[in-house]
Amino acid sequence: MTVSAPPLLAASALSFYRQDEPVFGPLQFELHPGQLALVEGDNGSGKTTLLRVLAGLLHVDEGELHWRGEPLRRDACAGEIIFLGHQLGLKGDLSPRENLRIAAGLHGERDGQDPARALREVGLAGYEDEPVRRLSAGQKKRAALARLLLVPATLWLLDEPYANLDRHGIALVNRLLERHVAAGGAALVTSHGAVSFHGGEPQRIRMHA
Amino acid sequence: MSQAPLGRACAAVLRRDLTLAWRRRGDIAMPVLYALIVTTLFPFALGPENALLQRIAGGAVLVTVLLAMLLALDGMFRSDIEDGSLEQLVLAPQPLALMLGMKILAHWLTTALPLIVIAPMLASMLQLPSTVIPVLLLALALATPMLSLLGAVLVALTAGTRRSGMLLALMLLPLCVPVVIFAAGALAAAQQGLPWIAPIAWLGAALALALVLAPLGCAAALRIALDA
Repeated sequence: MTVSAPPLLAASALSFYRQDEPVFGPLQFELHPGQLALVEGDNGSGKTTLLRVLAGLLHVDEGELHWRGEPLRRDACAGEIIFLGHQLGLKGDLSPRENLRIAAGLHGERDGQDPARALREVGLAGYEDEPVRRLSAGQKKRAALARLLLVPATLWLLDEPYANLDRHGIALVNRLLERHVAAGGAALVTSHGAVSFHGGEPQRIRMHA
Repeated sequence: MSQAPLGRACAAVLRRDLTLAWRRRGDIAMPVLYALIVTTLFPFALGPENALLQRIAGGAVLVTVLLAMLLALDGMFRSDIEDGSLEQLVLAPQPLALMLGMKILAHWLTTALPLIVIAPMLASMLQLPSTVIPVLLLALALATPMLSLLGAVLVALTAGTRRSGMLLALMLLPLCVPVVIFAAGALAAAQQGLPWIAPIAWLGAALALALVLAPLGCAAALRIALDA
């Protein structure tokens, strides 16, 4: 990676308003391939909103977003961004395996990866064919995390990925993030602060409430 | 890394919705039961005169089937919005309109198709002459996808609002009227032995237009609903 390479994602003077009430901003940050950014802030400081803006679910009100040096457009980064929000996007009546198959159908699969393997890696072996609604909250979270393993994407936007997870689950998220970043991916993670990331000091984005 | 081909993505969405509908078979049976009950009640309410029943049979079956479809309409995107599946669909690197088209197709297959299948039975319960039944099936085959497509746009428009059911019914009514007029026109003409192809052709033309435009409108409306 040369120094002059444009950042994967760059935000300048990014603000968001809800009915003329400022939700966050102005924010300024750059995210390069191989970098992890933690979005920190109190409840209601707009962390989720920021991620939804970056995912393209909400319109940018003020400021600019650039993707690889070009103004961010939906079709330019299609398939490169994966978003994991509070609503996990899992169908309760389908099994984790079926849920992953849909994700693979929509986004494609990483080479050498398949739903069964991804589920084994997140510790859901034996639960592949159980309807998701019968799983515990933590297991649902793990099923959603398996999507990160299965689907190819450059930028991960993870909203509270540690919520509902036990100690091993938290270690799993850290491991996934380390591996993703080491492979040249980038990630933006919101959290209340209880993160132990070993692959270098992550960038911190502070939200002012 | 491999991008998902369009055909595979369409198949995945269609298969998901059909599997989900199959896992909740009871919900599919609801509109069918409703149509059966309504058609059974007509002769009790109006008296068992064959001449009278024959005259109203075509229109009664048509309206019953369309109303039965309304029962299932407002749930089209609700569960997808609630569990975040819709966000994932919007963010997928696939044309949203086409994916929603697949969802609408799945919805039509699970709600309208069973109704079309039992329509001949409903029609004979009301003494509709058997020569008219093919026209009835043709009219339903064109009218029900129209309703699914128009309904999907309206469901998407009202997706962000709470208690959208009433709003949806009010908005759908004026759009249903021309569909019913043309379909019933074809049936009446067939029953009198007149040529019935013109109203059917109108329905077909409107369906062709809706097939192209409704998924696009639906996609735009859902993006706005998620933006709220």
